[in-house]
Amino acid sequence: MKNKYLFGGIIIVLFLGIMGYLFTQSNIKYENNFSIVKASHKTVKATGSWVKEKQYSYDAENNLFKFYIRDDKGEEMLVVYKGAMPNNFESATSVVVTGSYQDNYFYAKEILTKCPSKYQEQTATQSSSL
Amino acid sequence: MIGSIILTFALVFSIISMIMYYLNFRGYNNTLSYARIFYHLTSIFVIVASTFLWYYILTHQYQYKYVFSYSNNSLSTGLLFSSFWGGQEGSFMLWILFTVIIGVILQSYSSKRGDLEPRVMTVFTLATSFLLLMVSPWLKNPFEYIWTTPIFVDLKSINSNYLNLPFLQSFLFPDPQTGTTYVQVSSTLLASLVQNGIDPNTFIVNGRGLNPQLLNFWMQIHPPILFVGFSMATVPFAFAVSALMKNEYRDWVSQSFPWLLAGTGILGLGIMLGGYWAYEMLGWGGYWAWDPVENSSLIPWLIGVATIHTMLVQKRSQMQSEGNGRYVKTNLILSILVYILVLYSTFLTRSGVLGDASVHSFVDPGMLVYLFLIIFIGSFTLLGIGLIIYRWKELQSEIPQDESLLSRELSLFTAAVVLCASAIIVFVGTSAPIVGRSVDISFYNEMHVPLAIIVGLLNGLSLLLKWKTTSTQELLSKSVIYLAVSAVLTVLMILIGGVNDIMMILLSFSAIFTIIVNGEIAIKIIKNNFDKLGAYVAHIGLAIFILGVIGSSAYSKEKTLNLVKGKPVEAFGYQMVFTGYQPIENATKYAFNISMSKNGKTYNASPVMYIAEYNNSLMREPSIVVLPTKDIYIAPLSYEEKDGHSHAGSINIEKGKSVEFENIKLTFDKFEMDSDVMKAMQEGRDFQLGAVMLAESNGKTYQFKLFRKQKGSEVEFTSFESKELNLRVELLNLSAQGVELSISRLDQPKEIVKKESQEVLVVNASIKPFVSLVWIGVLVLVIGFFISFSRRLKESHNSD
Repeated sequence: MKNKYLFGGIIIVLFLGIMGYLFTQSNIKYENNFSIVKASHKTVKATGSWVKEKQYSYDAENNLFKFYIRDDKGEEMLVVYKGAMPNNFESATSVVVTGSYQDNYFYAKEILTKCPSKYQEQTATQSSSL
Repeated sequence: MIGSIILTFALVFSIISMIMYYLNFRGYNNTLSYARIFYHLTSIFVIVASTFLWYYILTHQYQYKYVFSYSNNSLSTGLLFSSFWGGQEGSFMLWILFTVIIGVILQSYSSKRGDLEPRVMTVFTLATSFLLLMVSPWLKNPFEYIWTTPIFVDLKSINSNYLNLPFLQSFLFPDPQTGTTYVQVSSTLLASLVQNGIDPNTFIVNGRGLNPQLLNFWMQIHPPILFVGFSMATVPFAFAVSALMKNEYRDWVSQSFPWLLAGTGILGLGIMLGGYWAYEMLGWGGYWAWDPVENSSLIPWLIGVATIHTMLVQKRSQMQSEGNGRYVKTNLILSILVYILVLYSTFLTRSGVLGDASVHSFVDPGMLVYLFLIIFIGSFTLLGIGLIIYRWKELQSEIPQDESLLSRELSLFTAAVVLCASAIIVFVGTSAPIVGRSVDISFYNEMHVPLAIIVGLLNGLSLLLKWKTTSTQELLSKSVIYLAVSAVLTVLMILIGGVNDIMMILLSFSAIFTIIVNGEIAIKIIKNNFDKLGAYVAHIGLAIFILGVIGSSAYSKEKTLNLVKGKPVEAFGYQMVFTGYQPIENATKYAFNISMSKNGKTYNASPVMYIAEYNNSLMREPSIVVLPTKDIYIAPLSYEEKDGHSHAGSINIEKGKSVEFENIKLTFDKFEMDSDVMKAMQEGRDFQLGAVMLAESNGKTYQFKLFRKQKGSEVEFTSFESKELNLRVELLNLSAQGVELSISRLDQPKEIVKKESQEVLVVNASIKPFVSLVWIGVLVLVIGFFISFSRRLKESHNSD
């Protein structure tokens, strides 16, 4: 009887330990300050607004979609996403990109767009390059 | 109006019924018939209210905000029918509708089983009361008039007869961003309409419609099935609480068991249909993205399946002794958790906490709804967990039955523990956004591979173990043959299938082991004991599913292809040719045809792209060619018609570079741009871009300029001619990359420059080996649930 509890206890501790470890490893923070995003090379979820005035382009040969986003403080960065422009993207103003900043651009693995036009209810769509 | 009144009545009846049932439980015998009448009235009123909502949607009564927001005139009848659950209010309505119908069945079921009815129905009507409060006029009421809160309506949706009304002017709002004009519909406008003798119900003649991603067959079946699963989760909760109320823990297990099996089976089917929908429509190539909303329905399912396993042990141990059996507390807690997690799932998806994290999540519904959802979860948690704490002493008195390490009891318990571990992982990852965090999907994948391996091994092993105890010797001699056969098959998979990752090899081995052990038993008993087949079928289904997941996710290959019309491209051994496109569905969408051939066989794929009016965005739908061993998945990315890259005799020069042309050195010196070019570009005004060129010949340098002129949508290019140099330079294109020129001698006939246009379709093509096994596996799993359900339903009769 005692052994059983000991055995169970060890398994639980082991499980929680592995989970905690993996959680801290794969944990992604939301970040709305691009100066911080640019300074670190960690994977983050950067939230900002799409800079429509700046050119955005889709490079079909390499399947790369490029656009600019801006944070609340006006800091901008170039986002490069491996994949096509997501569905619904044109109507988006607010964007959440998941990825990391590396040599002068933000490499996005995932884009989540929101359309908070005051005339329409918010809708969100996600695309992922998985 | 009438809808709200009916719903309010339903709420009142539900509360009355709850009180009557409770009084009956406390010993007032004469209240039972009233309780029943009021419960049936509740369900009738809910059904009538739902019918009204459907009627309003089908007859386009846009004076109701919900009808306006989620339907329009162009939807087909089937889609109009599913507009019912297109938004928050309606999906709550659907949940209630299924819950009350299930309640009718539950009432009849429980009335035939001793004194069960008052207890179970007290708890159940408490749930219906909370749900009805949710759709009451104070919270998320689907019958709210559009005037209640100000809302912007596109001018196009307004009845054209009223457009020249003078007072309308003061309600117009132009949106410069999209060029649309909106009418602000509010109670003020309503007052003006009424003042002018206009029937407000005729004012709006079209609705917003549904998001284009919802416009398909799956929208019509996935949400209802999921909500049946959600509704059925109420029942095990009600049984557990009613057992605690009576302080009697023997019979409820058999009584609750068939409900749990059916509910979990249906919920599993619903989750799978959602995955299939994503795979077939969304075009990102997968069926499960660990999206918080998908996860939040998976958590109660996992706990439900865990409960099935521990309940089985309790039922089994009851057969051997007089007591309540094993795992009484575990079963009570898990049964309660299933429903609490369904409520938690609702909270996550409806309260707006996942706003930044999920595709599906609804927008912030307001503080009141947020608070209500918290109270809802809080009350049910307090009720369930509180009662367990209250009864803890009595629950402790169960007779301990120690079983050996090698017993089926313990392996079933271990299975439940593993399932709970899986649920905890998903729970932690999914709840992370609440504290402003998020986990990468690798978190889920890495944690689940080892768990899936353990599940597979247990699935096989537990059946080789006998109840109570098994000797090590016996187990070894029994299992060696199965293990050997599985090992051989796994080696074959490694050699033929190219499975090489160690975790994937172990996972394949455990899945094959499950199939062999369960398969053998299933074949043995199929003739005489069809009833008992459920568990084996479900386990085989799970193993097939796991094999499908291994094939389709770990061994999927993908490529981005640029398909020029008519030119074959080789990919994955297939010759792929883009042959053109044609309009489909009344020219609202375009299908792009790709023919793929290999070894003389030809398959056709036609992915779809279109601009949706709803959100003015490009939408894409993939095309899937299903072959016996794999799917070829073609997701469209873009389509362009562009001028041919290289014209006859054209030369590209980058800025600052030079080219030689028959002793003349041509240099692209710099761009010439007016200061307001950028602004003109954005505003869509005419503008020109220039290139300053240098031509050097015999030591002399000539400077000239070439222009690209934008006039409306037309583009013009200028050219340069010099008699002195005997040179003609025509600008063909000018971009950030440089200039494209056609250079010729003046005294020679100009080469005819052919402007051959190219049509290029860009697609993402992928090969998904054995992805069909994912669907087949889940379907087999669900069939297993239902076989068990029919067996346990019969047993539940015998127990009284």
